[in-house]
Amino acid sequence: MSASLDWKRLQPGPALWVSVASVAGALVAGAGMVMLMGVPVGDAIAAFADGAWGSPYALAASINRALVLMLVGLGFVLAERANLTNVGGEGQIAVGGIAATALCLWPPVASLPFGLAFIVPMLGACLAGAFWAGIAGVLKVKVGTNEVIATLLLSFIAIWMVYGSVQSESLLRRPMTTSATLPESLEIPVATQLPLLLGDPSVPLHAGLPIGLVLAAVVAVVLGFTVLGLKLRAAGLNARAARRAGMAIDRLSIGVLCAAGALGGLAGACMLQGEQYTLKAGFSSGYGFDGLVVGLLARGSVTGVVAGALLFGFLRSGGINMEMVAQVPTALVVVIQGLIIVTLAGAALGIQRMEGRHA
Amino acid sequence: MRDKPESESGTGGTATAPAAVPLLRIEGLSKRFGALQALQDVSLDLWAGEVHCLLGENGAGKSTLCNLVFGVHAPDAGNMHFDGAPWRPRAPAEALSRGIAMVHQHFSLVPDISVVDNLLLGQVHGVLDRKAWAAKLDTMRARYGLALDPWARIQDLSVGERQRVEIVKCLIREPRLLVLDEPTAVLLPEEIAALLAVCQRVADQGCGVVLVTHKLAEIRQVARRATVLRGGRVAARSDAPSQEIDALVRAMIQRDLATPPSATEAPNAAPPGAAEAGARHGGVVPPPALMADGLSVRDADGVLRLSNFTLMVAPGEIVAVAGVEGNGQSELGAVLSGMLAPTEGRFFLAGEEMTGLPPRVLTAAGCGVVPEDRHALACVTGMSVAENMMLDRLHRFRRFGLLDRAAMTAAARELMARFDVRAASPEVAFGGLSGGNQQKAVLARELTLDPLRFLLAAQPTRGLDVGAVEAIYNHIRAAAQRGVGVLLISSELDELLSVAHRVVVLYRGRIMGSCRADASERPRIGAWMAGQQEQFASAASSHKEISP
Repeated sequence: MSASLDWKRLQPGPALWVSVASVAGALVAGAGMVMLMGVPVGDAIAAFADGAWGSPYALAASINRALVLMLVGLGFVLAERANLTNVGGEGQIAVGGIAATALCLWPPVASLPFGLAFIVPMLGACLAGAFWAGIAGVLKVKVGTNEVIATLLLSFIAIWMVYGSVQSESLLRRPMTTSATLPESLEIPVATQLPLLLGDPSVPLHAGLPIGLVLAAVVAVVLGFTVLGLKLRAAGLNARAARRAGMAIDRLSIGVLCAAGALGGLAGACMLQGEQYTLKAGFSSGYGFDGLVVGLLARGSVTGVVAGALLFGFLRSGGINMEMVAQVPTALVVVIQGLIIVTLAGAALGIQRMEGRHA
Repeated sequence: MRDKPESESGTGGTATAPAAVPLLRIEGLSKRFGALQALQDVSLDLWAGEVHCLLGENGAGKSTLCNLVFGVHAPDAGNMHFDGAPWRPRAPAEALSRGIAMVHQHFSLVPDISVVDNLLLGQVHGVLDRKAWAAKLDTMRARYGLALDPWARIQDLSVGERQRVEIVKCLIREPRLLVLDEPTAVLLPEEIAALLAVCQRVADQGCGVVLVTHKLAEIRQVARRATVLRGGRVAARSDAPSQEIDALVRAMIQRDLATPPSATEAPNAAPPGAAEAGARHGGVVPPPALMADGLSVRDADGVLRLSNFTLMVAPGEIVAVAGVEGNGQSELGAVLSGMLAPTEGRFFLAGEEMTGLPPRVLTAAGCGVVPEDRHALACVTGMSVAENMMLDRLHRFRRFGLLDRAAMTAAARELMARFDVRAASPEVAFGGLSGGNQQKAVLARELTLDPLRFLLAAQPTRGLDVGAVEAIYNHIRAAAQRGVGVLLISSELDELLSVAHRVVVLYRGRIMGSCRADASERPRIGAWMAGQQEQFASAASSHKEISP
């Protein structure tokens, strides 16, 4: 029984081919829909490719999106191992964004040396995300609230908190100097922005990327090669037996949800400090939920999270450009995403049955 | 020892005319699970109207054979004929629709809903006519003596009662072939007698009955014919099993059955000095392994399940808790393993109060637990054997912050050898092991707890064969001789009389009486188990251990 070891999943098996086939199938179906809309398919594809990877800027933007999705997906997979379903990525991004903005705009932080100016807000965002998810964990352990409901509803509260915090000058709203000022925060100081990896604003890859990749490796190692990973698995498969065997299931549950929330919070910090620089209402626009889907499709595998995040990152970027250039609604991307989810989930079930028969 | 049709001579084969073809014919059946050859070329005929006992040690392939007949697994080779037609079931549903019903070793009941709802599941569509089904239950009671409260929730029933629901669930379908996979493992003596009578009556009505068991008394009582499996092959057959018990047992374990651990053995007759010291209230050195002081448990409905349970177990002493199942044993086990906080009372392990503390603390204090419900509490079936055997000591296999899988596997392999846990390798899934091997693995883990001061063993030999039972009790005796206090909860009176120094009897949550574990006390114990009041009165006066 080493099904949890990730290297097994790296080897091309039926699962990999099924994934590739379902993605390809969904893309072909998407092309068909473009045709039905009366848009030349060639134009649409060109616009999609242009937006997804047509320029260094587009490529970097896609990767930045993928980074956010990956962080949320990692959090999902981590909690899933303990049989906890964290659907609160969106809310964890939101509180992470708020915390990062508040810290970035606090003058003492911006003047910290040695890169601490951008690291401290990131850590703050992690803490905020961990706290937010931790609420769901404590509710689950103390009063038995289902974590799916708790994390989801906490998300809506957090989304509203972003909205609220940029409405009031006493909170994060920028001072109204002209009548045209939007409800959004000031731009964060340069020192608190994530350094660009290439130092070139036309390739906006930022320091969040290496941090995220390291964290992905850490999560993979923790799940596959540590005692903690084994404990999470035991807790997920039979919590009562794990408790009887002396594991502190309550602490483990809260802890793993906090870790998942911290990853979500970090995703928020990356979005704010790496790309947007100002906090506005609707700051996250669904990354948390897309990240949740990435985590779901990965079926417990960290490699799967990385692959899924890249796929969805490129899809989103290309789709946006397709709408702007070829007048194909971005909703098409959502349809394609949906198709991928349905076929992959169906295929996963099929493979599971096949394996079950062979076992 | 050849099987041939002779249904005309059957005691109750009156309902059906002597059949020319067997109800179920199995020819050359083989099945392999990974590295394990579970069945090899097994052939067997089963006639309508007979009770056919299937014997074998744990892991001999009995359950696998049943599962092939019932369509849970497909055979790798060989074929079956049911009622003269080729029989290749693809799913249990197919077996059910053809009139084959099976009671599995493990229950398939939905715990949250009532007995009658569990019976309805999968059998009716549209509007649920619960009253009609409750009435059917009454017919079952009248016909087979299987009494059940139709409106009770499964989760409130004892293991024995749940087993009864499973059996009723099958019988209500009026099957033509009834397969019972170790149904008596969880039943009490009088319930077993009733069940065997049920089997006989079902067979008399022309149904074929396969009874998987290792209890020799049952074979003697009901078996028309018997087949012994060993290592996945047919080791012996008998057309007159009641006269050939010894031969069957030899075939089953490939050795003569040693005199069952007898009640006159040394550790039994003379409890260790430590036990004497611990039993005296003044003697605090060494502290008792377990000191339970007035433990009471009320369930969600406010019913008193365990009432004022007071008991001391000295280091090195084995105290057995006897009683008909469902009389507070489960609650006692849950409290002492830290899974349930008592409503009242306290308990101490080696002098330290443990009331209401989590299992983690209890384990650290040296409390080993072999729980009654293995799958719910003792193991994670989806994980490997090694992972399960080291579940409570994973932290020992940490190297540079990573899990040292090689060391864990090696440690598990060593433990498996010591406790004779048979599996293809420590890496295979725990769920794939036979019930007996699973139990041995759990016992191995709990007995090697370091330190181990107190062992709670609830029904530790349930479903195990004779050889394994002996081995388990030898391990428990050895632990006691090392100074571990043992509380043994069991409904096997013979077993606990042979192992324990002292017996207390639970009846409706109360200690009815306590006596030395001696065969001569059997009548008293029996009376206590039945809850006889006059016996209780006399016992209470002579019962020194209760309530300081």
